[in-house]
Amino acid sequence: MNTNPTQSSEIMIEMIKASKVYSKDVKALNDISISIANGEMFFIIGMSGAGKTTLLKLISSMEQPTTGLIEIGGAPIHQLKGYKLARLRQKIGVAYQDFKLLTDRTAAENVAISMEVSYKKPQMIRKRVKDLLAQLDLTDKHNKITGDLSRGEQQRVTLARAIANSPTMILVDEPTGNLDAATTEKVMKLLMKCNKAGATVVIATHDDTIFRHTSHRIMELQKGSILSVSRGNGT
Amino acid sequence: MSFWFTVFRQVGRNLRQTWGSQLMTLLTVTLSVLIFAFFYLVYTNMLKWGDRLGDDLSLIVYLEEEPGPELQQQYIKKITTFDEVEKITFISRADAYQRFGKQLGQNQDVLDDLPGDFLPPSIEVIPLKSLRNLNQVKFFSAYLAKLPGVLKVQYGHEWIEKFYYFTKLLSIVMLLSGTLLIMTTIFMVAYTIRLTILNRQAELELLKLVGATNNYIRVPFLLEGLLQGILGSTLGIASLYLLFQWIKLHFSGPGFLNMFQFSFFPPVISITIIGVSILLCTLGSFSTMQKFLRI
Ligand SMILES: Nc1ncnc2c1ncn2[C@@H]1O[C@H](COP(=O)(O)OP(=O)(O)OP(=O)(O)O)[C@@H](O)[C@H]1O
Ligand SMILES: [Mg+2]
Repeated sequence: MNTNPTQSSEIMIEMIKASKVYSKDVKALNDISISIANGEMFFIIGMSGAGKTTLLKLISSMEQPTTGLIEIGGAPIHQLKGYKLARLRQKIGVAYQDFKLLTDRTAAENVAISMEVSYKKPQMIRKRVKDLLAQLDLTDKHNKITGDLSRGEQQRVTLARAIANSPTMILVDEPTGNLDAATTEKVMKLLMKCNKAGATVVIATHDDTIFRHTSHRIMELQKGSILSVSRGNGT
Repeated sequence: MSFWFTVFRQVGRNLRQTWGSQLMTLLTVTLSVLIFAFFYLVYTNMLKWGDRLGDDLSLIVYLEEEPGPELQQQYIKKITTFDEVEKITFISRADAYQRFGKQLGQNQDVLDDLPGDFLPPSIEVIPLKSLRNLNQVKFFSAYLAKLPGVLKVQYGHEWIEKFYYFTKLLSIVMLLSGTLLIMTTIFMVAYTIRLTILNRQAELELLKLVGATNNYIRVPFLLEGLLQGILGSTLGIASLYLLFQWIKLHFSGPGFLNMFQFSFFPPVISITIIGVSILLCTLGSFSTMQKFLRI
């Protein structure tokens, strides 16, 4: 097996010496260089405050890198603007650590948003939403206001929204933080399914149960720098 | 298809979320269109009426003496060097006496004791239509008054002048209400849309993150302004029309309103007012978006 996937297939995410400085004394990321292949599943781990969320924000262009280059599918993302940026973001599904749910809308409406922005047909949206919520054990929450849901339920709604539009790239930040073992399994299965279907999946987590047995690459961050990039042993 | 479906649902959501201030805005737009259109209607009718008044506008130039044929020619030359006129008629003392008698009608006998030449001779000058501007008439009359042998010049009645100032005043009121219309529509629409934007800040942020294009975010707001414009101005014009019909119904028959012969705007003007209001409302929503959406 080729241990260097960046040579075997097309690169999806290319980061070259990317740094993020929030303020003088807060250097969240420091010279991060990494290539993630199209269709790869990739784990980012590290202690709290290591910079995992920041890294995902840079990839999804929520934040601009202070220095360095970031390319998504060959396009430098921090130079994209307006329509092109919007189109790219439609292809990136992000499950945020803080969810960013519209707490006065139902679970179904929240999931539908990511499809509505690319003008999918209403009946198709309805079907997809129902389907996804069922896969995440949320069928009975379909018409519940997300503000009333438990954190674990909100987390799953967030994930459903991230993958609803069948994005080519899925970024998930701490997807299992509030979940029991059985639900964690379900979430991982769903992400695996997306990955099998061809999506590049990047997961930031410190839940070792979800990467302990993986055979995918794992990058460990420490205080904003890469401590190691290794391949899981898959046991 | 799906685009407009999503857009209309978004607009519906906005309207539901801020229906109170939406209604207030609609009312303000309607009222300001009504006020402006009302004054404009009165103004245009006054102008039309003024035109008709001007139709029989004539200047009477009273002379010291009966002019002989030679002098008459000189007067004609002098008058026409100022401006072309429609008609010049010389009225001798005897003509004036006769005319006056006719005007008195049944009371003609009061003249019996008076000599037949107690009225001064005069020249009746009917200016060209193009000279119907009151200022020009004033100049003309001043010019005529300075001609040798002229006692004084009279034109129309004093209330022509009053009428003129009244229409002047009306045009100012109309301008003010027009400004009001512009301000209220732009500002009220901008204000409610700002309210909606602030209300939905979280949603708009998220929409941008999940890849909503600028149009996806903008079009609903533009449509909201457009809708306010269409509804507000149409309601305003419609209520003015109803008011107009009501007045016509209740004040018709012989009376002073008949003299005015009020008429409603031609459709073109109504449509123009509606169109401009729609434009203003859309402009209001557009300017707010530029300021608050940061996209
Ligand atoms: N918007 C911000 N402004 C200033 N500092 C920030 C901001 N966001 C993150 N930081 C800082 O950057 C560093 C990295 O934060 P980040 O959220 O990326 O960590 P993390 O690895 O995701 O942590 P966790 O596992 O707790 O989610 C932290 O020290 C944090 O305080
Ligand atoms: Mg984090």
